[in-house]
Amino acid sequence: MNNLEIPAETTPEFTSTSETSLLVVIVDSNPSQKMLRDNPHVLTHCVDSVIAFANSHLMQKAQNKLAVMACHSKTSEFIYPGPNKPLDVRQIDGQYEVFTAVEKTIKHNLAKLLANEKSTLVTESLLAGAIAMALCYIARIQRTKPPGCRLNSRILVVTGSGDSASQYMNYMNVFFTAQKQGIVIDVCALDQHLSLLQQGCDITGGLYLKVPQLQGLLQYLLWVFLPEPPIRQKLVLPPPVKVDYRAACFCHRELIDIGYVCSVCLSIFCKFSPICTTCHTVFKIPGPLAVKSKKKKIKL
Amino acid sequence: MADSENGSSSQNSLVVKPINLECKNLYDYLKTRSRSTLEKLYNHPTICLAVYRELPELARQYVIRILFVEQPVPQAVVASWGAQAFSKEHIYVSKVLSELSVWQEAAIPGGLLGWILSVTFKRNLKLALLGGGKPWSMSSALEVDSKARDVSFLDAYSLERWECVLHYMVGSQQQEGISADAVRILLHAGLMKRDEDDGSPVITRQGFQFLLLDRQAQVWHFLLQYLDTVEQRGLNLVECLTFLFQLSFSTLGKDYSTEGMSPGLLIFLQHLREFGLVYQRKRKVGRFYPTRLALNITSMQNSEGPVLEEDTPKGNIVVETNYRVYAYTDSNLQVALIGLFTELLYRFPNLVVGVITRDSIRQALKGGITADQIIGYLKQHAHTQMLQGEVKQPLPPTVVDQIKLWEIERNRLAYSEGVLYSQFLSQADFNILKEYAETNGYLIWCNKEKRTLIINKSAHDDVKKFWKRYSKGS
Amino acid sequence: MVDEEEQKEYRWETGYEKTWEAIKEDDDGFLEASVADIIQRAKRKRQAQKQGNSKLGMMRHLYVILDCSDSMSSQDLKPTRLLCTVKIMENFIEEFFDQNPISQMGIIIMHNKRAEKISDLAGNARKHIKAINNLKQTSLIGEPSLQNSLEMALRALKLLPSHASREILVVMGSLTTCDPGDINTTILNLKSEGVRCSVIGLAAEVHVCRRLANETGGLYNVILDDCHFKDLLYQQVDPPPAALTLESNLIKMGFPHQMSVEGTEEPLTMCMCHVDSTDEGSKLNTGGYYCPQCYSKYCELPVECRACGLTLVSAPHLARSYHHLFPAANYDEITYENQTVICFACQKNFSETDKQVYRCPNCTKIFCINCDIFVHDILHTCPGCATNLSTFQIAHNTTQ
Repeated sequence: MNNLEIPAETTPEFTSTSETSLLVVIVDSNPSQKMLRDNPHVLTHCVDSVIAFANSHLMQKAQNKLAVMACHSKTSEFIYPGPNKPLDVRQIDGQYEVFTAVEKTIKHNLAKLLANEKSTLVTESLLAGAIAMALCYIARIQRTKPPGCRLNSRILVVTGSGDSASQYMNYMNVFFTAQKQGIVIDVCALDQHLSLLQQGCDITGGLYLKVPQLQGLLQYLLWVFLPEPPIRQKLVLPPPVKVDYRAACFCHRELIDIGYVCSVCLSIFCKFSPICTTCHTVFKIPGPLAVKSKKKKIKL
Repeated sequence: MADSENGSSSQNSLVVKPINLECKNLYDYLKTRSRSTLEKLYNHPTICLAVYRELPELARQYVIRILFVEQPVPQAVVASWGAQAFSKEHIYVSKVLSELSVWQEAAIPGGLLGWILSVTFKRNLKLALLGGGKPWSMSSALEVDSKARDVSFLDAYSLERWECVLHYMVGSQQQEGISADAVRILLHAGLMKRDEDDGSPVITRQGFQFLLLDRQAQVWHFLLQYLDTVEQRGLNLVECLTFLFQLSFSTLGKDYSTEGMSPGLLIFLQHLREFGLVYQRKRKVGRFYPTRLALNITSMQNSEGPVLEEDTPKGNIVVETNYRVYAYTDSNLQVALIGLFTELLYRFPNLVVGVITRDSIRQALKGGITADQIIGYLKQHAHTQMLQGEVKQPLPPTVVDQIKLWEIERNRLAYSEGVLYSQFLSQADFNILKEYAETNGYLIWCNKEKRTLIINKSAHDDVKKFWKRYSKGS
Repeated sequence: MVDEEEQKEYRWETGYEKTWEAIKEDDDGFLEASVADIIQRAKRKRQAQKQGNSKLGMMRHLYVILDCSDSMSSQDLKPTRLLCTVKIMENFIEEFFDQNPISQMGIIIMHNKRAEKISDLAGNARKHIKAINNLKQTSLIGEPSLQNSLEMALRALKLLPSHASREILVVMGSLTTCDPGDINTTILNLKSEGVRCSVIGLAAEVHVCRRLANETGGLYNVILDDCHFKDLLYQQVDPPPAALTLESNLIKMGFPHQMSVEGTEEPLTMCMCHVDSTDEGSKLNTGGYYCPQCYSKYCELPVECRACGLTLVSAPHLARSYHHLFPAANYDEITYENQTVICFACQKNFSETDKQVYRCPNCTKIFCINCDIFVHDILHTCPGCATNLSTFQIAHNTTQ
């Protein structure tokens, strides 16, 4: 605080961080993801766990903030605070009324969203888009916060679907944006291992966890993801795994060690081809070095 | 073998330390309650919630981790949750949790010691978090209020009521009468005292310090003093505390029902109404609105920075590096407060200008106000312009440092009570005793050549015992 | 593409602009809203220009030529021209490598009629920043020599493979240059080699600089103040359109990964990047990146393998550049007529003060102005398009 050191009489103050902590939870509630197709009841369990987790976040500090999003294949929506006027909630049991409001709002909005969902089977949830929305939301909160107020923001993605390479570019854009803005992305994988999102955690300094047992979801969430980033250093949490940053070639989507990169559009290919399939540039055939001097003459 | 205390120097005769305003937070308050009271308090989800939020960061994580565990958890396991580098903090946190009886030691089959959460605390925290059980007392259903009040009205109302109390303390002319009850509390808290001549209450130095606190701290301090007297009034302390915390967890701008409240609580409610913590149109109307004063009453240490709310009141004081202070205010109270530590230069209808000087600060320090309180006050009311630009420190560091230096220059001597040990027979004896005192942190001063040392007075008995043991042994 | 010459008229020759008329008071007599509006407009305009470039020079090789002559000690920039430049340059270097991770940069200073290379073409931001910081102690003497430094940069850039985009950026404080020969031939050489030269003048417009920039397809600007300086410098962060002479090529690259065999400890090894550096010696440690061709180890990426010459990168490095090539679609500005209650991305409630809202042509979602800027400046992904599978595919097909 101050450059002047005044001998303090009080006991060491460990209770640090008066920062406001903003948490955006993205729940993948796409009903056609594999996990939910096998057993639709899992969704209720997951949503209950997420609500309890979200409330625990609010319980940490009075000034903590929360937003919850639902992510589908056709749309993503904020289900808390939600676009509508807050529900008028009266206490029905011993639960803190703010928590009751969170629970009611999330369940209400999610039910509405699921009812509108057409029964077409699209297994892919567009998580990158949902993260992009969350980043815009956080950027607005940052922009409009009163001066002098400190805010740390993080995004938690809870999903059971796999990550597909078709979203690769969007994923990378959101990861680098988050890194630039100092926003941590945490990922809780319920069903499959998510190598792309794991890269995002590594880039933004977040935690990645593949839940071994779905029954204990709430416990995993509370143990690993509840501590906000400034406190994480004080706790022993799962160590960062070494992330495989190898590229996948655009032609066969296979991970490669050595590849060819188009100098115009940076597409990656595993074999030499005379035309870039992405930007349709024609490449010259690599020949002996003598070709180079010839080229120069043409340029002149 | 002739050593013993030759004399003891006590500071009491030399200087009278000013009694400063002691501000307890919830933790300090609860620490002093008996275990059975705590158990009784933990029967209410609201209090568990308040206590939980008041715990240190790490403690909150510990509690949530064992919230769903039924058996005791080995202490070694809990210790392994924290990172090595923060083991000190872990010890501190464990102490706090034990002191508040949030967890207790329990034996685990196999001879290990473990921690287990207090059953009542666990049950009720779970209730608050996950639901179940009975609703809190004030949440009975209500018809829609035909004359509902909005947030800005409530803010204006609470401000007016609270300032009324403060105005009464400084005796400024815009005062309205406040009830005899309130005056009694002010007197009890030592914020005011009866004048020796005419018996009318006048403000004390603690009173001035009180005025410089931020609003939330003022309310909390005042209520603590009130709670002290609650039992004399025939009210139930647990009931009142529970109600207070229920209020603090209520929503601003919402109405609540008085249905089913005991007569004692209704009296308590009327008192809160007088201080502006709740708004009631009429005494018998059956509904009340909590105001901002009552919300998050305990979150005192968080008041450093503004919180992320759209409609919190804004600060209005600008401090420049040239020691000038500009306050955009028309409140006589605030002008009087700023006058405590500045030399006022100009006064306009909505602005006062003052300058901080060595004399003005010394004047304030002499009056018993500390530098931290002055800085805290300026920080609390810093104008939004001062907070622009993400700087950590809203005030100019030069001014802050200078105020602190002016305070330090008054305290060049530090007094500590001690006992003098001298006339040791041998250097070895002296060394033994010195080492013992040093390792335990009792030593205040020593001189090797003269073989004298001064030991903390409170540790005198302990050192004496050690000396007896030692001399017997040798 | 950019090679054609555009002869711009001088400022005093252009039509009489009533700049003050662009600023209007709002209802309360404040100018702020109006000024903010102008800034927003300028941002959007620049954004619109960005679109349309289909071919960019992505593998950039940039030489920064810094004036360190006597004229840099002038105090019209605070505290001095040089110190101000060094500070702005530091941020620029970081931003440059952040946005162009597989590009390289080198720094040349000109003082006392000579050119001196203070750091070679390399892809490591830290090395350049260190070199730039050391400049604070240089004595500022003599006149600069533009020709000498351009020649020096050209000699290095000539050797690069034909797919590399070659650029020179000159920061010039002096109004004169002391050259050994005819600078016009140097300019012609630069032009024929396809080196794009941009100049930022700190004092006043100089003909030879304008000619250099115009001939080679670069930009020439004279700064107004330090903010403008920063703005001009940051324009160089975005990759320029590919020059006509630039060849397309497929470049062989390696994607190293950590050598981890299940269950075994990694062997202790030394990295190649520090093996012969004197100030921080190479240490034996585990971890690091191994060249997939010759198995030399490096402790950071991107890097060119010293043993076999393979360019080593990681996939995110390439991905970081994709947004230059596939930017988010520009939004259309439409007047707000209660089309929607909230901004799709940030959930802001629209009110009467929002006169304009922005609509994405692909997903037709409506956004507020702040999100428009955030999406195009930083995020580069339209949240509307990215959350809907049908528009998601449209967006991808049009950009690719």
